[in-house]
Amino acid sequence: MCLGIPGRIIERRDDRGLPMGVVDFGGVRRSCCLAYVDDQVEVGDYVIVHVGFAISKVQEEEARRTYESLREMSQLDELDWMRETADLGLSAFEKPVAQRRGTA
Amino acid sequence: MKYLDEYRDAAIVRSLAARLRRTATRRWVLMEVCGGQTHTIVKQGLDELVGDAVEMIHGPGCPVCVTPLEQIDKALMLAERPDVIFTSFGDMLRVPGSDCDLQQVRARGGTVRVVYSPLDALQLAIRTPEKHVVFFAVGFETTAPANAMAVWRARELGVRNFSVLVSHVTVPPAMTALLSAPDNRVQGFLAAGHVCTVMGWSEYEPIAAQYRVPIVVTGFETVDIMEGMLMAVQQLEEGRFEVENQYVRSVTRDGTVPARHLVAQVFELVDRKWRGIGAIPRSGLGLRPEFADFDAELRFGLGDIVVDEPAECHAGDVLRGKLKPFECPAFGTLCTPSRPLGAPMVSSEGACAAYFNYRRLERRSEQPDVVAVATEQSL
Repeated sequence: MCLGIPGRIIERRDDRGLPMGVVDFGGVRRSCCLAYVDDQVEVGDYVIVHVGFAISKVQEEEARRTYESLREMSQLDELDWMRETADLGLSAFEKPVAQRRGTA
Repeated sequence: MKYLDEYRDAAIVRSLAARLRRTATRRWVLMEVCGGQTHTIVKQGLDELVGDAVEMIHGPGCPVCVTPLEQIDKALMLAERPDVIFTSFGDMLRVPGSDCDLQQVRARGGTVRVVYSPLDALQLAIRTPEKHVVFFAVGFETTAPANAMAVWRARELGVRNFSVLVSHVTVPPAMTALLSAPDNRVQGFLAAGHVCTVMGWSEYEPIAAQYRVPIVVTGFETVDIMEGMLMAVQQLEEGRFEVENQYVRSVTRDGTVPARHLVAQVFELVDRKWRGIGAIPRSGLGLRPEFADFDAELRFGLGDIVVDEPAECHAGDVLRGKLKPFECPAFGTLCTPSRPLGAPMVSSEGACAAYFNYRRLERRSEQPDVVAVATEQSL
């Protein structure tokens, strides 16, 4: 869980004040929190993501190398968790904000 | 070693290794802190490539491995409660507690869910108001910003059915504890690149100066690690004891400032027991008093429990670098990834699992081993 995974921001959203975004990890897409890199990134940028949080912005070439290296080293466990948890429907964007506010 | 031939950076790694062998006038003892680096070193045989120039000791930087047995047992107690949905990162599920693991609790009817992010656990709490959702907040400084944000958001959104079982640890106090031990052999460190991406490296400067050890902030790719080893050996040969940054493409001295800021607002330094190692003063993060409502231990009155590690598991000696995994009598026989006695055999970041996966068959040629033969035949 210590190794971040590089991905590309394909969408940005604001979830009641929290900067969020959809990040593409080699085809697997997940919502991620962008709060810690908010002022540095825009759609199309590459970021290193730890357990759903973008921690740093990286160049595209570095992102590709890192992803490839993680794949070669069989260290993409987190992508498996993303796939496993995708069917739980826990993506922050999967329910409209208004509906979620009702249960909070 | 056989994997290295397939690796595109093999030529660079070999050239760095040759430079390292030429630079070293004696055998130096280095420790890599990060379990991800351990995995790379053992899988690619980097320690074998440098010959007698460097002995690599594998450090305690595997969050799964150092989470104390008491916290695992508390997790099991919470997961068994019918009113609780227990959520965790995937690699904690098979870590053995005193009697069983989270996977077994789930099989017996406990509600245990793997989440990718602590915000998923918070989201689950929002959508399941009739249950209480507990998230197992473990890890080093890399997961702390995420877990801090989940707690911060829970308070901000007024979510009352969410809490965290905290077992956070931090790297610098563990390095200090290792260096202070009377039988310490470590002469230099490769610091964990992604931990430093978050935290920067200023915390390591007093350690390098006080204990006269080079500390090289190092990435986790094969070339990174070999270069980090070379930089540490160059310092030792020149009598320098500084913090150097090999991983310049990711790490700055100050780290990710907004993340550090939120971690400091939600967590405070606490004494923490490390599995197999024991208590290290001010080596962990605990919730600040103003976030007590989100502390699962307080909410469910778990209190202090004291449990003993199984005697046949030598994980503590492995985590302190006293024992190589294959020197443990249980390695590969009583203890395998499918039936682990201790946490380092569970996680892909654990030293025992790395040796089991990549070095077991080499070892068999030196010393026949029934389990290894059986596994090889089944492949």
